Amino acid sequence: MEHAMKFVQLIGSLDRKERPVDPISKPSGPGDDSGPKRPETDSPSRDNLMKRMKKVDPKQAEKYRQRTGE
Amino acid sequence: MELVRAYLDGHFTRRWDYRGEHPHEDQRGFRVTELAQDKEEDLFAEQDAHRPFSFHEMKSDLVLPNGARFYNDHTHPEYATPECRTIKDIVAHDRAGERILWVAAQRRNEVLGGRVVQLYKNNTDFHGHSYGCHDNYLVPRAINFDNLVRGLLPFLVSRQVIAGAGKVGREAQERGFTPGGFQLSQRADFMETELSVDTMHNRPILNTRDEPHATRERYRRLHLILGDANMCEYTTALKIGTTRVVLDMIAAGFIPSFDLVSPVAAIQAISQDPDLKTVVKRQEGGTISGLDIQREYVEQARRVLTNIDEETEWILQEWEQVIDQLQKDPLQLLGKIDWVTKRWLLESFVQDEGIGWDDPWLASLDLEYHNIDPERGLFYGLEAEGRATSISQEDEIQEAMKRGPLDTRGGLRGLCVQRFGEDINSIQWEGVDFNGKDGKLHLDLLDHLEPVSVAHCRAALEAAKTPLDVIESMTVEQ
Repeated sequence: MEHAMKFVQLIGSLDRKERPVDPISKPSGPGDDSGPKRPETDSPSRDNLMKRMKKVDPKQAEKYRQRTGE
Repeated sequence: MELVRAYLDGHFTRRWDYRGEHPHEDQRGFRVTELAQDKEEDLFAEQDAHRPFSFHEMKSDLVLPNGARFYNDHTHPEYATPECRTIKDIVAHDRAGERILWVAAQRRNEVLGGRVVQLYKNNTDFHGHSYGCHDNYLVPRAINFDNLVRGLLPFLVSRQVIAGAGKVGREAQERGFTPGGFQLSQRADFMETELSVDTMHNRPILNTRDEPHATRERYRRLHLILGDANMCEYTTALKIGTTRVVLDMIAAGFIPSFDLVSPVAAIQAISQDPDLKTVVKRQEGGTISGLDIQREYVEQARRVLTNIDEETEWILQEWEQVIDQLQKDPLQLLGKIDWVTKRWLLESFVQDEGIGWDDPWLASLDLEYHNIDPERGLFYGLEAEGRATSISQEDEIQEAMKRGPLDTRGGLRGLCVQRFGEDINSIQWEGVDFNGKDGKLHLDLLDHLEPVSVAHCRAALEAAKTPLDVIESMTVEQ
């Protein structure tokens, strides 16, 4: 029994003066402050991800059906 | 239906009021007599007629304590966040929605035994059926609709470059799936026209439904149905943030220096080239790439917008940086931009397994990227390895599961559910009807959009012992 999820995101776009200042700090990513690095091709995390991917049923998408939505 | 109801601690009581919905009203100043989807909706109704439930029971429309709406729409669960004022809030509430649906799935699985129910936050079933992730913006009606369209179309056609969720293969509405290759967007294949009030067939780049859920004379609701369901928080922040910035630009009088010859052909051509080299024709002559359209917009934003607040500055900085990184080294955006992340995962798998891009396994992996089961979802796996960039802190997501933003109408709606849920007779975006001794008590939320007004109503709700106290308090204030 597999379902899609449809998300609806609601946000106001009023005059900027009416929007309170709510600063978003620089998002924290992996590593140091200089930003994400090129992915390592042989890292343990990559191996874990490949293991997870290999568990996926190759026919999963073929079996998956939804009604057309909005 | 049972999945949605699984989130409830008690029994389902019908409360959602559908009278505020007007899908046939068009922003271009007319009302259509029917939608392209009406016949299909009738067919679905016929198919569902044998079920021992009424329409309202099957919909199981819920309003949650955080002001969100959660219900069964076309047999998939639909989650609408409460109204948010900041990018940080919308990202936290988007993630809260994932958690809420996961709670519902776990509870349903406890009943059924095993991990029978799996939920995918995506936009296609790889058989030609699509369902959207709609982003909605409150816009002053004073902005001329033609200017809104002209200002938005090139931006929306190219937004997938920074906000696409990525997809293997190609699809066509109701005509199925063709494996092979990788494209930027889940939804581009399903865009068929520039403007339309329809949402299930003849899907438009810019939906013209005129259903403001606010004072009609003052506001529009921009209802965008072309966006992908994103897993990366950073992509969600950039998608919503850049769109909000472009709306600010249009409000400030911005009109782009070019129009595209064929926006529908352009959105599909841009999507089908993850190397971002494809160019599309401009009406004024010459061509432009999707990346350069985005660059044109961010450069204009720097010129047009003055008195930039901190949130806008963050959006502009990140927007500029992402455009540069996409041009120089897209892999720097791993864990930040969905299509880059998904492409890297699939490319790695293709290399490891020695399979071709037309292997059906890749569509299954594409689907699994969007699985919200923490132990199965591929994006969640990447996040667990610390390779996804976070915008929300865990405590902010937990808070968003319980309460709506304190500075929006969504928070007020949530407060009504938290404090007087059992007294609610009916509820919708624009107001709440409570059961009173002498009939219904109506709390009008239509105009509670500005922070001061929201704060007044919130104080009344927090101080009240009964719904009547709220109504009386609000009446005195008026």
